Amino acid sequence: MECRDFTLQLDDYLDGRVDAVRQRSIQGHLERCPNCRSRHQHAVALQAALRTLPAPTPHPGFVDQALSRATRAALSSAHPTWRAVIGMAIAATLVLGVALGVFLATQPSPVRTVALTLERPETVRLIFNSAKPLQAATLSLALPENVELVGYGDRRELSWQTDLRKGGNLLRLPLVARGTAKDELVARLSHGGSSKTFRLKFEVDNAGKSGM
Amino acid sequence: MPPVSPYRRARPATSNFEDLLRPQVEYLYRLAWRFTGSVADAEDLVQDVLLKLYPRTQELLKIERLRPWLARVLYRQYVDSVRQRARSPIATYAEGEDNPLDTLPAMTDGPEEHAERSWWREHILAALERLNPEQRTVLTMHDVEGYSLEELETILEAPLGTLKSRLHRARQRLRALLPMELFSAGERVNG
Ligand SMILES: [Zn+2]
Repeated sequence: MECRDFTLQLDDYLDGRVDAVRQRSIQGHLERCPNCRSRHQHAVALQAALRTLPAPTPHPGFVDQALSRATRAALSSAHPTWRAVIGMAIAATLVLGVALGVFLATQPSPVRTVALTLERPETVRLIFNSAKPLQAATLSLALPENVELVGYGDRRELSWQTDLRKGGNLLRLPLVARGTAKDELVARLSHGGSSKTFRLKFEVDNAGKSGM
Repeated sequence: MPPVSPYRRARPATSNFEDLLRPQVEYLYRLAWRFTGSVADAEDLVQDVLLKLYPRTQELLKIERLRPWLARVLYRQYVDSVRQRARSPIATYAEGEDNPLDTLPAMTDGPEEHAERSWWREHILAALERLNPEQRTVLTMHDVEGYSLEELETILEAPLGTLKSRLHRARQRLRALLPMELFSAGERVNG
């Protein structure tokens, strides 16, 4: 067996998807070839680490909340109350949901601070609450240096044309910090001659990678 | 297995739905988090799935093995959301969603969760983040959650050959992103 054959069969071998004959020939090669042996050890170590990769549990109350929202949505034809609560005279306003599902109330100051951990994507949620449907509004984003919109590489300026419906329109921004962000993110929603601008500041945490 | 009792049949749909789904929500959330890598997105995904499932309560009652079936529904919803976001980042709120201000959840990523995160986990999560959604899904479902490729054929609705090659590419990418030296270093750090 050649090293190339081993590489091709490594996954099948790890998953126990080889017959006895192939298994013997792979084992024979591993005994003779230190390179493939270390490749195999690496793969085994990675598989072991993946098997124990923990996942978070939902926050307390999430299960109840999610189930009751699902059943209430069908039972009640009434409009959800939040529209009335946040409803405002201006065409579009914003509620900023900082990552992890925590929503904050709209304050007079439109600048918000979002905490990001270096290299760890977090979804920031903005809600545009529109008093009326808006056709072909333009949403543009200017990202500060070192903050990326996941999936858009290092593009700093992005814009979309989008229809807003009356009520809540959710904008999800999966953001990841690649370094310290000095400037603000500017989100501008424009329609016709008017526009509204929102600014986000970032606090980038180094995820305990400094030796503190 | 006893037949469905008249008592059970007479119960309102809400309790049937809750009885069936309550034990599954954490499982759905975990898969959603594995797919998306984000708490906020996992919550949204699970909520969207539950909203869609409630009107199908009668159908749910007849399903024998609920988990793989739910995993498939969740995955479809995830694929839809990825596609939709590629078109426009703006989504409308699902009907019935409350005022987010009324339902402020507790901090979800509090100090305990932070402390739990090992050095290890950070590296693996960062590497998973760099796989495309299809590769990440098959890898986490197979190598983390322990589903077989045959089970995943049904859940992810893709042929075995396709899944095998996705898994193969995903693992190759992870091995390249997480070199062996990192593993030995990890053992030292973790004692
Ligand atoms: Zn070799």
